[in-house]
Amino acid sequence: MSSNSEKDDKIAPDTGIPSPQLVQSAQVIPNQLGYKFGLGRKGFTLIAAVAVFLWLVSGIYKVQPDEQGVVLRFGKWVETSDPGIHYRLPAPIETILLPKVTSINQLQLGKVGITKQAANILSAHIEPEFAPLPAAQGENINQMLTGDENIVEADCAVFWQIKDVGNYLFKVYAPEKMLKVAAESALREVIGRNPIQAALSDRRQQIADDVKDSLQHLLDAEQAGILVTQVQLQRVDPPAAVIDAFNDVQRARADKERLRNEAEAYRNDILPRARGEAERINQDAEAYKTQVVNLAQGDAQSFLSVYATYTSSRDATAWRLYLDSVDQVLKKANKVIIDSSGKGMSGVVPYMPLSETSAKPTTAQGAAQ
Amino acid sequence: MNNRPLIIVAFIVAFAVFALWIVSASVYTVDETQQALVVRLGKPVGVVNTPGLKFKMPMVDTVIYYDTRLLPLESPTDQIILGDQKRIEVDTYTRYRIADLLLFYKSVRTVEQANAQLSQLVGSSVRRELGREPLGSLLSDKRAKIVDKIQNEVAEKAKPIGIDVVEVRIHRADLPLETSQAIYDRMKSEREREAKELRAQGFEWAQQIQSNAERERTVILSKAQRNSKITRSEGDAEAARTFASAYGKDPQFYKFYRSLQTYQQTLADSVPTLVLSPNAEFLQNLINGPGKQ
Repeated sequence: MSSNSEKDDKIAPDTGIPSPQLVQSAQVIPNQLGYKFGLGRKGFTLIAAVAVFLWLVSGIYKVQPDEQGVVLRFGKWVETSDPGIHYRLPAPIETILLPKVTSINQLQLGKVGITKQAANILSAHIEPEFAPLPAAQGENINQMLTGDENIVEADCAVFWQIKDVGNYLFKVYAPEKMLKVAAESALREVIGRNPIQAALSDRRQQIADDVKDSLQHLLDAEQAGILVTQVQLQRVDPPAAVIDAFNDVQRARADKERLRNEAEAYRNDILPRARGEAERINQDAEAYKTQVVNLAQGDAQSFLSVYATYTSSRDATAWRLYLDSVDQVLKKANKVIIDSSGKGMSGVVPYMPLSETSAKPTTAQGAAQ
Repeated sequence: MNNRPLIIVAFIVAFAVFALWIVSASVYTVDETQQALVVRLGKPVGVVNTPGLKFKMPMVDTVIYYDTRLLPLESPTDQIILGDQKRIEVDTYTRYRIADLLLFYKSVRTVEQANAQLSQLVGSSVRRELGREPLGSLLSDKRAKIVDKIQNEVAEKAKPIGIDVVEVRIHRADLPLETSQAIYDRMKSEREREAKELRAQGFEWAQQIQSNAERERTVILSKAQRNSKITRSEGDAEAARTFASAYGKDPQFYKFYRSLQTYQQTLADSVPTLVLSPNAEFLQNLINGPGKQ
């Protein structure tokens, strides 16, 4: 109890130990002295009364809405007060602690959220008599083993508030530091129970919940008076040395999908085309069928018509048909007529170089004459 | 006579100072977080567990304060060889209370001393228990059991020095830095295996889908071609039947008629050179003129 108030110092500067008795006796002495040295008795009484009044008034205190007042009388917890204006006995007798009970505090594990300022505050809170955490390895502080003996780097944020003021203030030494250690331990333990894939992807929420439960369990066992409201697993990554390999797995997964999509694109391209082509083949065949049948019918019908005329006048029709054809054939052809049976013309050799037949038709015509 | 009031004042002052001193030397406070040991002339005579204003004998009694709160102890990092000969670095932390102050004072006196002793207890217990276990069980649900065992052991051993060990926990259990490169390499190779497999699976899928599609295309086209052939031959057959029924009426005439068509179609459009004998019947009239038939 070394917290003297200023009023005590004014009245009794020669003693270091304040107490109510001291104040009482201190008032007697100046009265005597004042009488001796010519000061009015009234003056001393007034000064003493003002001093006592000020001292008593200093017992008024205010509890903010997010706080709770804890009144200690000679170190013993005697009263808990709600937000508002309250009175306690002045300084040496009763002291007041004002913990913030409703505000939710954030504790950052790992290197993500630690700013310089936060680090300073953190180190200021660590009592020198206890060895600091083995954080000297710096980068490796948030590396931890997973259940399948891999290594991950995990950061998480713990949100907490004071659950039990008495426990928080009086049962645990440096509760915030204990919370930090317990949170790290819980995180490491839970990560250590899970395989790396679970920690990296699908079971993150589950892990955060497990950490929360485990941490709350630890804190309750310690009677730390702290309620963990939430644990957020913020960053879980493989170590920098192997992150490429992990990213490559992601790329491979994408490649796999891409290959499948490409193959499906190919399928979607060729199958409709094939169906179209098949349809064309079918239609062509149908067309051909109809065509040949129709043509056949047409040909047959025209034959039958000709035949009908032929039966009515055989010779004339036959000759007409024959000569019509000869007309057609001879119209454009080069004609060479050789009377092989005639007299005097037997010496004609029908010389006709086959390759020149079309090139020298005039010779043939000349020979004919 | 003159200085009589002064003497009275001096006497009163002296008395007041003495009274003050007595009061201040016999009163002390114990905080909510504290417990106190009263030592009378070097001999501990009482333990004060309750907070508040307390009295003691002035001069002869001294008061030593201790914490009632849960106290932390962080053990320095320790390399431990596990049951499967793997080395790990272990940090542990211990939480304890000073339970029996008299015992505590007699055996260790200060918190520093207690920490040193407790640290040794924890260290040896951790070393022994972890030395039996493989790394696998540290990375499983078994870890809690091992830790409980260590805690019970330490708690049992710490009782004689007046300490109530509330918990012993493994804060960190990591492979030492020297081995992490090997772990990284293994992790890398595992990922590479996975990546290769994924890509190969992608190739597999692609091949399946593509070949399936190609097969389907071939099936579709061949079916179409089959149908086409059937349809075409049906048409041909139909045509043949039609022809047969028409031409069958007079095959002789059909031959004649059809050959004329052939001449027209094959000879008419080209420019052939025909070497004809005047004996040809259609030239008889050219040679002989009328009336000679």
